[in-house]
Amino acid sequence: MSTETRRRGAVDRLRASPFLSKLLSNRLALVGLTIILGMLAIALYARITLDPQALASSRLGTAVPDRAPPGWTGTGPADQYLFGTDSAARDIYERCLYGAWLALQFGTITVGTSTVVGVGLGIVAAYYGDVTDNVVMRTMDVLLAFPPLLLALALVAIFPRELGLWRAVAALTLVYTPRFARVIRGAALTVLEDEYVDATVALGATDPRVLVRHVLPNTLAPITVQSTLNFGLAIIDLAALSFLGFGAQAGTPSWGLMLSRGVDNGLLTGRWWLSFFPGLFLAVTVLGFNLLGDGMRDALDPRMREAID
Amino acid sequence: MASIRFVLKRIALLVPVLFGVATVVFAILHLAPGDPARVIAGQRASAEQLEQVRRELGLHRPLWIQYLSFLGDAAQFDFGQSYSISRGAPVRSVLLDRLPVTLELAILGQLAGIFLGLPLGILSAIRQDSLTDHVTRIGALTGISVPIFWSGPLLILAFATYLDWFPTSGRIDSTLFLPDSWHLLGRELPLTGLVTVDSLLLGNWTAFTSAVHHLFLPALVIGIYSTALISRMMRSSMLEVVRQDYMRTARAKGQGARITVLKHGFRNALIPVVTIIGIQFGTLLGGAVLTETVFGINGMGLTIVTAIGALDYPVVQGTVLTFALLFTLVNLVVDITYGYLDPRIQQ
Repeated sequence: MSTETRRRGAVDRLRASPFLSKLLSNRLALVGLTIILGMLAIALYARITLDPQALASSRLGTAVPDRAPPGWTGTGPADQYLFGTDSAARDIYERCLYGAWLALQFGTITVGTSTVVGVGLGIVAAYYGDVTDNVVMRTMDVLLAFPPLLLALALVAIFPRELGLWRAVAALTLVYTPRFARVIRGAALTVLEDEYVDATVALGATDPRVLVRHVLPNTLAPITVQSTLNFGLAIIDLAALSFLGFGAQAGTPSWGLMLSRGVDNGLLTGRWWLSFFPGLFLAVTVLGFNLLGDGMRDALDPRMREAID
Repeated sequence: MASIRFVLKRIALLVPVLFGVATVVFAILHLAPGDPARVIAGQRASAEQLEQVRRELGLHRPLWIQYLSFLGDAAQFDFGQSYSISRGAPVRSVLLDRLPVTLELAILGQLAGIFLGLPLGILSAIRQDSLTDHVTRIGALTGISVPIFWSGPLLILAFATYLDWFPTSGRIDSTLFLPDSWHLLGRELPLTGLVTVDSLLLGNWTAFTSAVHHLFLPALVIGIYSTALISRMMRSSMLEVVRQDYMRTARAKGQGARITVLKHGFRNALIPVVTIIGIQFGTLLGGAVLTETVFGINGMGLTIVTAIGALDYPVVQGTVLTFALLFTLVNLVVDITYGYLDPRIQQ
C-alpha cells in the first residue's frame, strides 16, 4: 500500500467517523472549541507582543513588585486602562492577556506529561498483568486516596520555591497521572480481549509492537476525552496553587496570583476589578474545555449513541 | 450475614491503602528541602544547638527506624509537636481543634448540593431538551467551571463589601465564645466543634444566628459547585434509567408517572450518583481549603497552607494524613451504601 492511498484511507475514515460527525453537530461542543481557539489566539498574541518582565515589575518604583506604597490604591477601569490597574499601577488588561499564555502553556505541559506517563503505565499494567499490574495499580490507588489539591499541596513542599510555576506543574503531574493510568488500563484490557491481538502475537509481533501499533491506537478516544476534561481541572488547580502561594512567583501575571492579590488588596476596599477580570478569563477558559470535553464524551459513549439513533 | 462480611472486607482493603498513604506522606516530607532542626532552633543557632534539637526529634536515628516509629505514631494519630505555627503544641490537638471547622463547611456545602442538585437533575432529565433542561445543564457546566477562589471574592465584594448583608470573614462573631461542653439531664457532654450545631445544643440563639450569618457565603460558594456537580450526574444517570424496560413495565401496569419516576427511577439512578458524591468529596475538601483561605476561616485548610509556608512538617504530615483518612472513610461509607442500594455489588 502506498503512503498516498494510506493517507486517503485515513481521511475517509475520519470523515465517516461517527465520533467526529457527532462532535461537530454538538453546538455546545463547538462553542467550547471556539472559546479554546479564541484563548489560544489571545495567548499567542500576548506571547508575541507583551514583555513579561515589564508586566511583572512595579510601575511605582517599589522594590517588591506586588507591594503598593502607602496611599496608592490603583484605579478602576477607565478609557486608558480597560480593566483598571492593580496596586503596582500595572495594566490588568495586559496582565490578563499574558495570563492566557501562562495558563495554556503550563496546562498543556501538566496534562501532556501526565497523559504520556499515565498511558504508558496503564498500558503496561494491562498488558503484563500479574505482579506488574498489581504494583502499578496499587501505587496509583494510594495516590488516588488523597484529595487531589491536598496531595498537590504536600508535593509542592518538596520542590524549591525558585521553580515558581514549574513547582506546581511537577506536583500536579503526579496528582493527575493515576487518573490516566486507571482509565487507559481499563480501555486497554478491553482491547486486549480482541482476537486480532492474539493473532498479532501468534504472528510473532514483539511486545512493544503490539502495544504501540495495536493497543495504543484503539485507546486513543478515551485518552483524548480524559485529557480534555482534565485540561480544565489542571488550569484551575494550577491557578489554585498560585492563589495559595505555591505556584507563580511574586509579580508573575498568572491569573491565580492576580486573584490572590485581589483578595489581599481588593476585598475590603471594594476594588472589584482586581479579582473580577483575571477570574473571568480563568472561568471562561475552563468552561471552554468543559464544554468540549462533555461533547466529546457524549460523542464517544456508545450507549448514548444507541439511545439517540 | 452477607452484608457484614461485605463491610469487613471493604475495611480490610483499606489497610494497605492507608499504609501506602502514610508511606507517601513520610517520603514526601523527608524529601522536602529545609532542615527541621533549623526551623525550631532558628537561623542563628550554633552547630551544637542544631545537633541537640536533632537528637530531641529523633532525626539522628537511621531512616528506617524513623519510618517505623512514624508509622507506629501515625496509627495512634500522634504526629508529634508543631515546629512553628502552634509551637510546642501537640499536632493532634491542633488537628482536633480545626477538623470540625473544615467538616462543617464541607458538610453544609455538600448538603446544599444534595438538596438542590438531586431535584434539579431529575427535573432536567424528565424534561429532556426543554428550556428547564438547557438552563440547568448550562448553569451546571458554568458552576463547575467557576473556581471557588473567584466566586468567593465576587460574593464577598457584592454581598459583604457593597451591600453589607454578611460579614466578610470568620465563622462566628469574634465577641462570642462557646464553652467546651454542654449539659444534658445533668450530665456534662463534649461539644461537636461545629458552631451551628453547638450553638443549638447550648440553646444560644445569638450564637446560632451569628454562625449562620457568617457561614452563609462560604457554604454557598461550596454549595454552588456541589449542586452543579450533583445535578449533572443525576441528570445523566436518570436519563439512562428512564429508558430501562422496568420503567415502561411500571407505566404499562398503570402506575402514575410521578410514582414511577420516584419509586423505580430515583433509587436506581441514585446508585452511580452516590459513587460520584464520594469521589467528589475529595475535590470538595480541596474546595474547603480554598474557601477557608478566601474567607479567613481557621480550619484545616488554612492550617496546612500556613504550615507549608512555615516548614512546620509535623502539622503538614498530620493534616494531609487526616484529609486522606477522611476521604478514604467517606468512600468506604459510599461503597457500603452502594452495596445496600445495589445488592449485586456485595457478591
